[in-house]
Amino acid sequence: MTMAHMKNPLATPDQIFHRSSLDSPPTELRDAIFFSTQCLTQAAGILLQLPQSVTAQANVLLARFWLIEPIMSHEFSDVSAATLYTVAKIGPCPCTPRDLSNVYAYLLSSSSTFLSPPGNNPPKNIPDDYYQSETSYQAFHSRILSLEHLILCSLSFDTTVSLPHPLAITYLQSMDFLYVPKEKITRRVVEYLNTALLSPQLLCLTTQPNGLAVAAIYNAAKDLGAKMPECEWWEVFDVDREDLGFLVVGMRSLEGWVGGMMGEEGVLGKKKRGGMITRKEVRDILGGDRPPQEEEEDPEVVMARRMDEKMREIEGDAA
Amino acid sequence: MASKAKSRWADDEEDALREAQLKREKEEKKRLKAEKARKLEAERKTREAAAAAQQEQPPQPQPQESPNGPPPKRRRVSPEQQETHNGAPPEEPTTTNLLRFTPGTISRSRSVENYDKLNDIEEGAYGWVSRARCLSTSKIVALKRLKTDPKDRSGLPVTGLREIQILRNSSHRNIVPLLEVVVSDSTTPLEPSIFLVLEFLEHDLKSILEDMPEPFLASEVKTLMLQLCSGVAYLHDNWILHRDLKTSNLLLNNRGQLKIADFGMSRYVGDPPPKLTQLVVTLWYRAPELLLGATTYGSAIDIWSVGCIFGELLAREPLLQGRNEVDELTRIFELCGLPSEESWPSFRRLPNARGLRLPNNPTPGSTNSRIRTKFPLLTSAGVGLFNGLLALDPERRPAAREVLEHEYFRQDPKPKQEAMFPTFPSKAGQERRRKRETPNAPVRGQKAADLGAVDFSGIFAGREKEERGGGFALRMV
Repeated sequence: MTMAHMKNPLATPDQIFHRSSLDSPPTELRDAIFFSTQCLTQAAGILLQLPQSVTAQANVLLARFWLIEPIMSHEFSDVSAATLYTVAKIGPCPCTPRDLSNVYAYLLSSSSTFLSPPGNNPPKNIPDDYYQSETSYQAFHSRILSLEHLILCSLSFDTTVSLPHPLAITYLQSMDFLYVPKEKITRRVVEYLNTALLSPQLLCLTTQPNGLAVAAIYNAAKDLGAKMPECEWWEVFDVDREDLGFLVVGMRSLEGWVGGMMGEEGVLGKKKRGGMITRKEVRDILGGDRPPQEEEEDPEVVMARRMDEKMREIEGDAA
Repeated sequence: MASKAKSRWADDEEDALREAQLKREKEEKKRLKAEKARKLEAERKTREAAAAAQQEQPPQPQPQESPNGPPPKRRRVSPEQQETHNGAPPEEPTTTNLLRFTPGTISRSRSVENYDKLNDIEEGAYGWVSRARCLSTSKIVALKRLKTDPKDRSGLPVTGLREIQILRNSSHRNIVPLLEVVVSDSTTPLEPSIFLVLEFLEHDLKSILEDMPEPFLASEVKTLMLQLCSGVAYLHDNWILHRDLKTSNLLLNNRGQLKIADFGMSRYVGDPPPKLTQLVVTLWYRAPELLLGATTYGSAIDIWSVGCIFGELLAREPLLQGRNEVDELTRIFELCGLPSEESWPSFRRLPNARGLRLPNNPTPGSTNSRIRTKFPLLTSAGVGLFNGLLALDPERRPAAREVLEHEYFRQDPKPKQEAMFPTFPSKAGQERRRKRETPNAPVRGQKAADLGAVDFSGIFAGREKEERGGGFALRMV
């Protein structure tokens, strides 16, 4: 293992800040698009039987790409497909454009359950919905190829992604799995890490893998009531307390945030049938009855408020 | 602890610290009580424990790098603290020294217009290389343009993408550094031009060998081999197979520094090795197991190429210049001896080995290597190394790390200092194209040659006649 396998390029504060000025929809909508697209990549990865390591790398590349390129400049599902295609191609399990096209056609059709509200009945399977004509396949294929090139150029061809998962396992081993059943705690840790990929807080672009690994272990240990070493053990893994605190809250807050977004008042909850959000829908939301422009809140203030709320929640539980 | 699982983490930490402190004080009292009774015993134990702890803690800057076996916990916040503090508040955490990465940034590729093209150097199977100057820094670089085919419906060539990825992740003094990747300003995205900006080195070993009036001195060969093996060892340590090592891919600058280049065939591998294509490595440098159709192979194929390069450095010409796969195999067996149950137990199981007809009653010595007679000026350590690198059985070839420790490099003449290397007129620096006489690496997607039925029973017919002495050679140092 060299250093190249333990660190990632990170977003600069400037880049994070400028995301909102890149001709982008309001923050809430943008975050909803980000989350949906990352979920779409995950769903496609599963249907294409790609290892999670490949799909997770595609998630990170997509987040990096949207740091450089405006989110509205390409169809979200195409960007998802192109990142997955590129990562799979360089790695050990390439997928064919044909499989890719079929899987995305299915996930975007009304026959799939992708992001459908939990209460809904499973949709009827209508194969005609996701049948791909040769023309539409060719068009999809061409879009993927030109996006592949654009994505690589936008990232200076730096496709290496260091995932936190292997580090987390190593750390767990070194701590004897905190004396709880191996499978249980490892599973919980991996769940936290995979969830972090979907986070619109861009945890994977602002933190090195060791930080994510430690925070996931901390959270998993708390969830399982496992006993952690009584010292500043995170320092052994080169994470300081402040960063850890931020990450712990960031990882925990996602569930509540998604709940809100999928709820009746949330951006995704308003879509009756569920499914992947499209550029057209976003334009309709923005153009149609554009709600009176809210005062754009300082993202830091929003973040601080979210953290406070979360804290209160956790403390409330404990009391 | 479990009851507090839900409490706010910050409070929890302070609680934990306070608790830990109380516990420590208690333990301290207990310890003092028991101390008198067990004083000698305890002393002996602590001494032993300290020695054991020291053994268990090799100088490792990153705890992440010890995946095997749980290392002692709390390595930094070490247990000694408990004794030295005697219940005093623990040291301020600010004194802890955490490893910090300087993260790279996420940014767009720059335009090739930032470079001024000076002259072409060569055209290889995977791209064109030219010499160029960076407009902002005036630094001379090599620009390698990836060959792309807009009609290729699989998009950008995976070999090129792998090359970029591997070079980006590699950093070693004997690997050519990739400075950046730039693109042409072409507005049509389907006709991309992608350029690797590489450090410029004046020569490649192939051109030098062709033009040299006299061969490299033994001391120079040693320096070159050490640099080559150190680069290869780095690659293998990082799970990278180069798969196209040859003299034209080894660059040399005017300060005697060798760097491995052209990673168009290379890839990451794992353990157990994945199934790989046998269509790798330029024919003259291709290991026998590849010629016999092995699809699982490992770093030993690079070591074979290193052996061929060793021979080429000594003799100034490629060692095994086969005209085709069968001829290459013939030449290998002529040099290294016919494979036998003893020298290569598993070779019969390789796909292409079935068609081979080997002599029923091999003449004595036909399974022996002829390297000793072909290179009479080499010391026996040198011959030993040579035979090891070109062992027919891949299992018996040394690892690159082992080569670095070989006796040969410790013998006189000692390896020459890089700075003392002679300089050569640079072809790449002039307005001239390099000659290409080596065959190219195989192209992806080609059909692997099926050797068919090959009769090797006659290849040693006239061998005895060839045995001859070394003749005169005056330059040995």
